[in-house]
Amino acid sequence: MKKILALALTLCMVLALCATASADRAGDVNGDGKFIVGYISKNTTDTFHGPINTYAQETLDALVADGTIDEWTGILDGLTDPGHQCDLADDCLSKHCDAVIILPAEAEGTAPAVEALANDGVAVVVVNSKTNNTDDLAATYCGSDDVYAGTLLAQHVVDNCPDGGKYLHIQGVLGNSAQIQRGEGMHSIMDANDKFEMVGELTGNWSSDEAMKIAEDYLTRFGEELVAIICDNDDMSSGAQGVCNDAGLPGVVCVGVDGNNYPLSMVKAGTMLATVLQDGVGQIAAGIDAVVALSKGEAIEKEYSIPFVLVTAENVDDYYTGE
Amino acid sequence: MAEDTINRADYILNIDGISKAFGGTQALKDVQLHVKKGEVHALLGENGAGKSTLMNIIIGLLQRDEGTIEFEGKPYEVKSPVEAMQRGIAMVHQELNPEPYLTVAENLFLHRESMVGKSIFLDKKSQNARAQKILDEFDVKFTAKTMMQDMTLAQVQMAEIIKAVSCDARLIIMDEPTSSLDSNETDHLFATIRDLKAKGVSIIYISHRMEEIFEICDQVSVFRDGRYVESRPVEGVSHEELIRLMVGRKVDNVFPKVDCPIGEEVFRCENLTGKGFENISFTVHAGEILGLSGLVGSGRSETVRAIFGLDPIQSGKMYLDGKEITNKSPKDSISKGICMVNEDRKAYGLCLFRSLRENISLPNLPTHQPKLLLNQKRERAEVSDVAKKLTVKAASMEHSAYSLSGGNQQKVVLSKWIMASPKFLILDEPTRGVDVGAKSEIHTLMSQFAAQGMAILMISSELPEMMGMADRVIIYHEGHQNGEFLREDIVSGKVTQDDILAKEFGK
Amino acid sequence: MDKTLNDKKSFFKSDSFRLFMGKYGIGVILFIILVALSIAEPDFRSSRNLINIAKQVAINGSIAFGMCLVITAGGIDLTVGSQLALAAVLLGEFVMKREMNVFVSCGLTLVITTALGMISGALISKFNMFPFVVTLSMQLVIRGMAQVISNAQAVSITNTTLKAFYQGKVGAIPVPVIILLVLAVIMYILLHWTKLGRYILAVGGNEKAAIASGVNVFWTKVMTYTISGFTAGLAGIILCAKTSSAQSNLGVGYETDAIAACVIGGTSFAGGVATIPGTLMGIIIIGCIYNGMNMVGISSYYQSIVKGCMIILSVLFDKVINKKK
Repeated sequence: MKKILALALTLCMVLALCATASADRAGDVNGDGKFIVGYISKNTTDTFHGPINTYAQETLDALVADGTIDEWTGILDGLTDPGHQCDLADDCLSKHCDAVIILPAEAEGTAPAVEALANDGVAVVVVNSKTNNTDDLAATYCGSDDVYAGTLLAQHVVDNCPDGGKYLHIQGVLGNSAQIQRGEGMHSIMDANDKFEMVGELTGNWSSDEAMKIAEDYLTRFGEELVAIICDNDDMSSGAQGVCNDAGLPGVVCVGVDGNNYPLSMVKAGTMLATVLQDGVGQIAAGIDAVVALSKGEAIEKEYSIPFVLVTAENVDDYYTGE
Repeated sequence: MAEDTINRADYILNIDGISKAFGGTQALKDVQLHVKKGEVHALLGENGAGKSTLMNIIIGLLQRDEGTIEFEGKPYEVKSPVEAMQRGIAMVHQELNPEPYLTVAENLFLHRESMVGKSIFLDKKSQNARAQKILDEFDVKFTAKTMMQDMTLAQVQMAEIIKAVSCDARLIIMDEPTSSLDSNETDHLFATIRDLKAKGVSIIYISHRMEEIFEICDQVSVFRDGRYVESRPVEGVSHEELIRLMVGRKVDNVFPKVDCPIGEEVFRCENLTGKGFENISFTVHAGEILGLSGLVGSGRSETVRAIFGLDPIQSGKMYLDGKEITNKSPKDSISKGICMVNEDRKAYGLCLFRSLRENISLPNLPTHQPKLLLNQKRERAEVSDVAKKLTVKAASMEHSAYSLSGGNQQKVVLSKWIMASPKFLILDEPTRGVDVGAKSEIHTLMSQFAAQGMAILMISSELPEMMGMADRVIIYHEGHQNGEFLREDIVSGKVTQDDILAKEFGK
Repeated sequence: MDKTLNDKKSFFKSDSFRLFMGKYGIGVILFIILVALSIAEPDFRSSRNLINIAKQVAINGSIAFGMCLVITAGGIDLTVGSQLALAAVLLGEFVMKREMNVFVSCGLTLVITTALGMISGALISKFNMFPFVVTLSMQLVIRGMAQVISNAQAVSITNTTLKAFYQGKVGAIPVPVIILLVLAVIMYILLHWTKLGRYILAVGGNEKAAIASGVNVFWTKVMTYTISGFTAGLAGIILCAKTSSAQSNLGVGYETDAIAACVIGGTSFAGGVATIPGTLMGIIIIGCIYNGMNMVGISSYYQSIVKGCMIILSVLFDKVINKKK
């Protein structure tokens, strides 16, 4: 019985291979008469990536409906795992994709995914953050400069705390490129300013909840001496600001990057001074525009830069749409 | 019996016609028990007489198959110990298991805690005060706030008794209450029992210690093999009479014991002491079956576990073939040629979901498969060989041990040890949970092994088996050796079951 | 139930189907999945995609084999994810920063992850602590070590020899596939043809009985965690080659898929029951599910649900087929 099963399995494999031999359009990525788009997300759980994925889903569905592109893969969940993103790139190749939009989980780790796609002639549209080979291999990059975002964070604190003082840095997941680059930009300004002293640098793993715990601990330790909490994203900064406000210290300047809905609502309500908006939807929109241009055979630029914006009470209405 | 004519109103508990079977085994058959108000009623019987089963039925841990129970004149039907407690029956177990991290007060009011008004909050203060008040009625050294884990066994037991009384129990069952108490503590317990008796509380008292029964009990009921034998007032009954009531059965000579020449000394131990046994010394010879007989908990199994290396030995010496040995682990023992069939087959005997082949070869891999890779062909041949010799009935050696009957499982366990060709084989309850046919086959095998020159040490709770198979029987009583009988005296009728049982009960 | 040994005819009739399905039912499931996906999506059965899957499962497969042994001996190893990260970070340190020979670096890396596995195992069996708690804590320790060594910075792997562990090919067969197959053979021999394998199955099946049969339970358990440390290190090397990066946040949550592969492959969480072919098929099934759902175009939101249901169903299947247990 064991042998029969083994035989049957082998037979199935062989049949499968034979069947594809005729259908295999070897190496001919664009020659199958179809324009197929792949979409490799960073993940499907972060609040920042939620609207991006939703926008992509709606727009790409619409493009299939109106015939601009023939098919797309649906949202492939990268699970914030570079290894898994490499697998998904292989899957896109199996699906005969002609252009693939990818939101890298890691600058280093996702690079082989971009490489594998580019080596097969697929046009790679890198969105949101760069892999270290994006400049060489990708068709285009649509994103924002995280180092610049870091400087915006720092400058906001310098501007609002003229006397300087102690500040706390709450980081994203250690090793993420956004964490590394935003930190780099932030330190480039803060370290040069001797009025400020960093009293702690800990990871809040991008999570509001963990940031709140850290903020509570440091408020207990330093109280009014603490003038600012700089966070790598604004889920964390809104959490930290909430803790400060509840502790009767609304003067502590908390700021982070992304422009998620809740932090924006705090800016609108005046409970938080500012947040640095990363226009994620703008980035993916530019990426999809680039894909559409490719499908029509039009030329595209090597890089589309979507600016970060410091959102304060003055301009919050431009970005905060309520619900 | 006379009970029919006497006034039932004097009795707090009337049990009639109770039967209970587990699978094919009839644990209780048509038993009765009648306990008077304010009486200390002893329950007496050998291992497996059905005492524990009956008590478990009374407190609701088991459900009876047939029969009626009347408590305080009303039909009695409970599904759990908590329910039994509410009806007024409590049991103080032999193995006490209180919550170690509770205080005495918390344990006392478990499931009926004092609350602040009708809220969900505990009122610790009033609870402690109430508990202390109850404790003050008894002569105890602990307080309401003592943690259970900080108390001695005797104190825990006292706390359990106090708990039963405070729940207004009218009947308290005590299972071997003195088994871990010293004589002072026992005296204190007896004083408490007399106190309770004076207050009209009835007590069912289970004990193997005859002298206690004579000291504290009013009435004694004897059980044997799941049946009720007789009930008598303690006054006027003799020690010998009670023993006779407990035994009362004949040794049927169905045991296929073959007498074979007894050879050189194989194993000897001197003054072995460990947990549960003290100063044990004996010798086993080639071709001899030595029996260790005693009540459950008398230290027989503990001794052989220690010899085999499953439990530590505190002091004493062991010799194999005249050379002194120490066994730190079963691995040690097996490599020296000492093997043991454990009394608990499911726990220590078999990996139930592995194949017979793997089970049988497990202890023999180091000796039979010295190479890095297993020679599975040879393994199959060797295993089938030994299994055939031991008449294991199985469709294939690849089936899981789980699929076999108890008797065949036991033969598989025997197979794995026979494959190791031991010099000294320990059999702890070799026929427990085995049907009659397989039992006699196992007995035949034992005779064969002995004839081949193996030294065998056998433990059995069944006296007929002990008397039918052993060349010599050593009697255990509470961890000590209490006599020795020879086969020839048993065969000639010079020594009877009564004599053995009397020794086991410490006479 | 009591049949004699030579009663072959009735044996073949009665228990054989059950025995067959109990042992190889997982293969039947795999076969059905393969056929169904091949029919539903031509791209799935392309040779390119099948090789893809084989490549993709190498990392999870390597972890799962080690995990299988641990679970079979009655434990669980939650450190594997962070072992992967540590292995990658060590390689980054050795190969890129210190410019050591790739094979020496891999050897050293494996020695370290194996030693860490051994430490977990020794803690668990020496002090009789819960494997779940010990490996959960060790996971934090190892992840922390990876962060300390790498300073939480990513190192780009440019060494082509190292990268070949994932991207290289021998003939038409990718290197990771070869590694997986060789590992499968070694594991098969280990579990089914050696004393250690028997001891692992016995300890997981009934620890007390194993002790009473003279098995050294301490070493048996320690060995399972040690081997798991080795296979996790191996997986880490492949992952490092795959992502061309050495960073401390790799491999988060990888233990889940490895455990899932074991369970689907018929490894009993109660211990004592496992086969290496079953585990290999479990590994391939997980790979096919991931890949197949992407190929067929099932939304990623539903993929987790499908995966979860698949695991429950396979365990249920096992229960029904092996009802007697």
